[in-house]
Amino acid sequence: MTVTAGWYMALAASLFTIGAAGLLLRRNALVMFMSIELMLNSVNLTFVAAGRELGVLEGQLSVLFVMVVAAAEVTVGLAIIVAVFRNRATASVDELTGLRG
Amino acid sequence: MIDYHALAPELLLAGTVLAVLTVDLLRVEKYWVAVVGLFGLFLSFIPVLTLGFCDTLTFCEDTGTRFLFGESYAVDSFSLVLKALFLGSAFVAVLLSVGYLESDRFWQGEFYFLMLSSVLGAVVMASSRDLVTIFVALELVTGPTFLMAGWRKGDPRSNEAMLKFFIIGVLSAALLLFGMSLVYGTTGELTFAGIRAEAAGIRGGDLEALFTVGVLFTLLGFAFKVSAVPFHFWTPDTYEGSPTPVTAYLSVVSKTAGFVGLLAICYLAFRDATFLWGPALWVLAAASMTVGNLAALRQTNIVRLLGYSSIAQGGFILVPFGAAVAAGVTDVQLEEAFFATVTYLLIYAFMNLGAFAVIIAGGNRLRSAEIGDWAGMFGYAPGLATMLAVFFFSLAGIPPLAGWFAKFVMFRAVLSVGGGWAAALAIIAAVNSVIAFVYYAKVVKSAFMDPAPEHVAVADLARMPTVPSLQFALVLTVAGVIVLGIFPGIIAEIGELTKTFASGF
Amino acid sequence: MTLADYLPIALMFVLGVGFASVAMYFSWRIAPKKPTPEKLAPYECGIVPLQEPAQRFPVKFYMVAMLFVIFDVEIIFLFAWAVRFDQFGWAGIAAVGIFVALLIETLVYVWKRGALDWNVARRARYRRVVAPERVQEEAA
Repeated sequence: MTVTAGWYMALAASLFTIGAAGLLLRRNALVMFMSIELMLNSVNLTFVAAGRELGVLEGQLSVLFVMVVAAAEVTVGLAIIVAVFRNRATASVDELTGLRG
Repeated sequence: MIDYHALAPELLLAGTVLAVLTVDLLRVEKYWVAVVGLFGLFLSFIPVLTLGFCDTLTFCEDTGTRFLFGESYAVDSFSLVLKALFLGSAFVAVLLSVGYLESDRFWQGEFYFLMLSSVLGAVVMASSRDLVTIFVALELVTGPTFLMAGWRKGDPRSNEAMLKFFIIGVLSAALLLFGMSLVYGTTGELTFAGIRAEAAGIRGGDLEALFTVGVLFTLLGFAFKVSAVPFHFWTPDTYEGSPTPVTAYLSVVSKTAGFVGLLAICYLAFRDATFLWGPALWVLAAASMTVGNLAALRQTNIVRLLGYSSIAQGGFILVPFGAAVAAGVTDVQLEEAFFATVTYLLIYAFMNLGAFAVIIAGGNRLRSAEIGDWAGMFGYAPGLATMLAVFFFSLAGIPPLAGWFAKFVMFRAVLSVGGGWAAALAIIAAVNSVIAFVYYAKVVKSAFMDPAPEHVAVADLARMPTVPSLQFALVLTVAGVIVLGIFPGIIAEIGELTKTFASGF
Repeated sequence: MTLADYLPIALMFVLGVGFASVAMYFSWRIAPKKPTPEKLAPYECGIVPLQEPAQRFPVKFYMVAMLFVIFDVEIIFLFAWAVRFDQFGWAGIAAVGIFVALLIETLVYVWKRGALDWNVARRARYRRVVAPERVQEEAA
């Protein structure tokens, strides 16, 4: 049995689900960022697998953009953690309950 | 060869972003950063005009829609109108920020850098015609706004607003991207034109299920961005916790950018899949209007009230999309729906920015956003109270203020489609317009009729001036709301131009 | 792709879950269990912590991490150019030159702001240059 694009798609979908679950269930901001990375990288896997299956370069090209955007988001996220740390000395999202809603 | 004239607005704006960063390093008064930013916004507005009036200018070669980088980037009347809207709204947003940032301890230089970068993203968004470009543009719009939302660094509420906004924003980006990757995987195309061509062959085939999931995830991502119910829960918190000028920016520029992306992707890429996005957006529109308005009724904080009101307005903007739910909707009807959405977006920008300008001006005096404290404003600040009434009644859709025309075209688009579903949506929208009027009128009544609360030092407040930049912003938006309300032909003319977009390539 | 193509995926899930549960079941069955209070405590001596201690890192580690991530990943765009640089010619070199110039401007900005300084005292000196009024305010 050969490994077809469908397998990669399935793996990507599983990774995406794990990432989404981690984002929604974990309460440590750093772990949540890791989950986000997992989601974005699972998307990369889909792009590459689809691009290879179709024999075009666009899939791999998209990955470059996604990676850079992901890096920018992580940077913003780290900056946000630093700002929150300074006021709270915690990275737990549960303790941020100042606003109704 | 690259058509530099078509790219001029983006290039000038990018240059401005760099200039702002450089000016910030120099030892000058920080308001110069804002001045450079305003000048740059004005400068990049000029090529938008020259491109728009290309057929009447001698030096400009009128080539119709200009495509760049393959079919990934298009400069047509739709994108030009939206670019003008983004640049204009950003101009007002910078004006709102100037006085606010100087009133407290803020880092100013970077703020304008971030805001202008975000505007650059919005401007690129208007022209994006492929999945990757639209994703990068969307991230460029939202990325800086995460940081702007937390600009009051020492304030835990601002921190919280920032963190919530960030997590939801990134989650929505991931969902959007996952949808896009599935759409790409099934169609093999990134450009909207290509997807539209390929999508026809997918229907009924093996890949239809995956394609459907891709389309729905893409819509889901945008639903977060435009804070449609049930993906709205971050909105009130972020709006309340952020500095008010940032809230104004989020509710107008960032939100409009989301709608522009949704418009482009629905009407170009998924044009032949109205049976997929029509029902989904029908539900979102109905839920956003109802939940937004009902929640707004109970608010005591004026910024939160406007937050829920903007969710409800987002619902009204989604209504023409939802009208496409009817099977066999014709091209003419889709064009009408498209026209209605664009018109609503244009008018919404004026009235919502104006409403926030009033809130910033009032908040500067009162140091409070509780509606109870705003009572009796007519007594000591009659001008401000009158403008509050103008913007709130415009948001409620009372003629002769601009808001009525937005609502009018929205209803016209829905009713032109006809059928049970569209009629139901029209009824929901009508009921919601009445509910909305109640809470808008309540605030205005309180400002005009009720006596000022005792802890408000009326005599001091009467003497407090409004910052000049804020006055300028107020004059611009008030003029816009009144002129467009009395002469809706202007906006109809502009909206008409964009219809060619919806009629396809 | 038909529904039958998903069969291997379903099979994989079944196998994965099955292996994990079988392994866990046997380790639970076979392992000897003689619990004593000491064994059940998280630590053999000392008090049981009621909550996780707040972990504080100096901000400068985060600063370096952020700058590294950004500059490291931006270089990816050079890769796309590098695989075909001979076909792009001077136009390609010009485009990459602009890109690198933008990166350099960012670097200069970061440098001038003092974000690259490991020594916090020296960073304060940059702050006096960039935002003198703020330093005065804080001193007052």
